[in-house]
Amino acid sequence: MAEQKLGNPAVVGLAGFGLTTMVLQFHNVGWIGLGPVVWLGLIFGGLAQMIAGLQEMKTGNNFGYCAFTGYGCFWIALTLLLLGNHYNIYTSSKTDVGWFLISWTLFTVILWIGAMRVSSALALTFTLLLIGFILLDLAHFGYPDLTVVAGYELMVTAAMAWYIMAHIIYADLFGRDILPVGKPWIS
Amino acid sequence: MKFGKTIAVMGLLLACGGVRAAAPSEAQVANAEEVVNKVRAAARFLHDKGASGYSEFNNKDGKWVWKDSYVFVYDCRKDRMIAHPMRPDLVGKPIMQVTDNSGKYIFRELCKAGNEARGGWVEYSWPKPGAGRLSRKISYALAADISFAAGIQVSAGIYDEGITLPELSQFLERMSDPAKYQAL
Repeated sequence: MAEQKLGNPAVVGLAGFGLTTMVLQFHNVGWIGLGPVVWLGLIFGGLAQMIAGLQEMKTGNNFGYCAFTGYGCFWIALTLLLLGNHYNIYTSSKTDVGWFLISWTLFTVILWIGAMRVSSALALTFTLLLIGFILLDLAHFGYPDLTVVAGYELMVTAAMAWYIMAHIIYADLFGRDILPVGKPWIS
Repeated sequence: MKFGKTIAVMGLLLACGGVRAAAPSEAQVANAEEVVNKVRAAARFLHDKGASGYSEFNNKDGKWVWKDSYVFVYDCRKDRMIAHPMRPDLVGKPIMQVTDNSGKYIFRELCKAGNEARGGWVEYSWPKPGAGRLSRKISYALAADISFAAGIQVSAGIYDEGITLPELSQFLERMSDPAKYQAL
């Protein structure tokens, strides 16, 4: 009996991570309001990415398990935080949001080092993500204009996540690797 | 003599009555101290509440409208009026091309002043609420620090024909120094 083919949960995780990160940056540079960020953040960046992360457990991929579940929770928490401010439930000031982002920056440092053991594309994605988080941290503590710089920088991060997503999907569909992700930075 | 005293007392009473009659109208005029305190409170409110707080500044019966003044919120980077309790028609519209009757680009000046560390004052002509005509207005602009946004400012003004910008700048400097502000 042939073994049933299973999908790679990372494609959904990377899709949700990339799309919601992209939409938040559309807001940060001033193109859109917060509405799409909140609703996409809850469903795609949050719920879908978190489920993808939980499915990574079965594949034995601890990196994906932690990263997708973690960033899925990031999006759910961020959107609930924005909704909480709107409805006056445990409101968060700009300083509070800044510390929230710093904690995620520290979390990202750990995964950034891990990403260097996976592939060049993932290491680059996490390098860009870490820089983006640091820029947002600075934007929350005295340098508000860096919000826009972070916006453009994190758009590249989101595009990199989609590149890896496309690498997995196209390798499956075309039967060969047409979007290489490169060797790990740390072998 | 007694008649003279009576006239004098009546005159005094009339004078006091006159002062009392004038007092309510003066009480309806916002002063520079109130404007600075309201604008600073508005910036703090937006820091704490974020973008969710914008809508409260569109309420003409809310706490950001008092006496003959009000706080309005605008985005210098996106060139948009975010909230204005007296002119809902301006909300969401570009602001940088708005001029007063002397051709002054009001919001370009406000954005420049608001970017100063303590904020700043800008003089221009604007309709006074309820007056139906242009008045000399001097507004205090200050940057508001909001998550995932840049270039947001809050402002409110006084309608005063006599006070000068240097006087207001000195006043702002005193209000920014806790030791000196206590002495006011």
